[in-house]
Amino acid sequence: MRKEAVISKGLRHVHLVQAALLLGFFLLLLLPVLTGYSDYILQVFTHALLLATLALAWNILGASGAISLGHAAFFGVGAYGSALLSHDLGFSPWFTIPLGGFLATTVALIVGFLCLRLRGAYFALATLAFVEIPKVITDNWDGLTRGSLGLVGLPGLPTLRLGSYSLDISGSPVGSYYFVLCYALVLVSVVTLIFRSNLGLALQAIREEEIAAQAVGIQVQRYRILSLLVSGFFTGIGGALYAHLIRYVEPGLVYGLHFSAVPMIFAICGGRFTILGPALAALILYPLDQFIFHPLAPAGHEFLYGAIIILTILFMPAGFWGHLRKGQLVSIKTGSIE
Amino acid sequence: MSLLKLEALSKKFGDHWALRDIEFSINPGEIVGLVGPNGAGKTTMFNLITGRHKPSSGRVLFADKDITHCKPHEIRRLGISRTFQSSRPFAKMSTLKNVVAGRIFSTDFDLFTRPSDIETAAQLLELVGIAHKAKLPAGELTLSEQRRLDLARALATQPRLLLLDEVAAGFSPVAVKQAVELVLRVRERGVTLFIIDHFLTLSLRVSDRLLALDRGEKVAEGSPQEVMRNREVIRAYLGMRRKDE
Repeated sequence: MRKEAVISKGLRHVHLVQAALLLGFFLLLLLPVLTGYSDYILQVFTHALLLATLALAWNILGASGAISLGHAAFFGVGAYGSALLSHDLGFSPWFTIPLGGFLATTVALIVGFLCLRLRGAYFALATLAFVEIPKVITDNWDGLTRGSLGLVGLPGLPTLRLGSYSLDISGSPVGSYYFVLCYALVLVSVVTLIFRSNLGLALQAIREEEIAAQAVGIQVQRYRILSLLVSGFFTGIGGALYAHLIRYVEPGLVYGLHFSAVPMIFAICGGRFTILGPALAALILYPLDQFIFHPLAPAGHEFLYGAIIILTILFMPAGFWGHLRKGQLVSIKTGSIE
Repeated sequence: MSLLKLEALSKKFGDHWALRDIEFSINPGEIVGLVGPNGAGKTTMFNLITGRHKPSSGRVLFADKDITHCKPHEIRRLGISRTFQSSRPFAKMSTLKNVVAGRIFSTDFDLFTRPSDIETAAQLLELVGIAHKAKLPAGELTLSEQRRLDLARALATQPRLLLLDEVAAGFSPVAVKQAVELVLRVRERGVTLFIIDHFLTLSLRVSDRLLALDRGEKVAEGSPQEVMRNREVIRAYLGMRRKDE
């Protein structure tokens, strides 16, 4: 009797969360209509979605237990790679964006060889320092990158046409919004595949008890580097997309702390070891910051992120989505799920 | 043919010989106890066999293959598994999933867990007597349950040789009795066992042979009765070493 009560409470909780997720998804789909095609609102949500993809990508490495403070290195290399290849060599962005991703992967490989023998805070600090290398190179190799001036007038993404319907990706806020939304959905699928498969199981084993993971035959270093490469790849893609959406790159911008810290903050706040947590945090917190805190305190609005990270670590170390999922564990225990 | 053979195996940490010139072999199907006081080198021997540490000199042979320089996961694949002195569960995974993890990574990589892997894992939890805890996070198990989980996870990797590190330390008499039965059941599955057992609670009851170490050197080997009568072993355990040492 009492057990049943627990089960039904657990189930109701799960259903509630699923319903909220579904509602959120439809709100995202209909956002342009609901907001009367407001350019400003769409731009904010486009950037929120982009940050969501960066948080999702960050979290692929995060799943191995590593904390990176240097993902801007991958973001910046992806952005500059795609920008230069399309601007100087005239390739289509459709082609250079994946190339930007692969360039970022190459950089991730270097980070892996240099830093992956480190753990915990040492790894985090090493990645923080590493960002300076591609940044300084980009800043000073004027002949190739135009140095600190950056590059303006990058080719945008073309207009997609389907019959009479057309979507101008870079030229219209609606186009950019839907394009990044699609990419975010792709990345959610990728992360779901990783987390739900035996790859995810290996990463979980490694982060929870590395020595035991090794003892059951998991090739710890191989999985750690694989998660770093995949994470770097999608962060690089994110950087390249960003470059073509705003059609401009600059070292201080694309290698900036913003693109290292903010995805990490969203991932930790949403739940490092969850699939959707990082993306949900981005979609809630970034608009909150832009619509509410920015008008209130234009100079210091980013204090929000500092406050959030402290509150999360103190009161919900599993992140808010991880915390909600713990509620589900109640029903798993009583056998109503799995 | 011996299943495991140690040839002049030595390990030096700085100036200290953790193990020195150990010659020993284990036959298939045996249960061998590894005894000795603290610091005798028992866990170091396990770390050398499983590839966690590399020996300073000497060789480790497994089924006549030289595994001295193999990596831990390669040794695991050849068929050697171990448990740890302080158990190391994947604390936030369910107990069942812990065992599934043991199963999956011991064979060729599959992207998804097969139902048969989960079935096998459930059977192993049954074997070690914690099937009723299958859905709990492993971190919530008691100490003795975690040791059982460690054992189930190691068995899931389908070892030919299983190294148990202090599997019954701190157990109550009833729990020791259960552990004895469990070890014998594991042997019936065709697994050879090498058991570290400082306090001899388990090894005196189940071992075919004992190997006694003291300060990195082999001091005795033979039947449990012989080894327990050995003067060197008694000295090592009671701390009555010769003055000139």
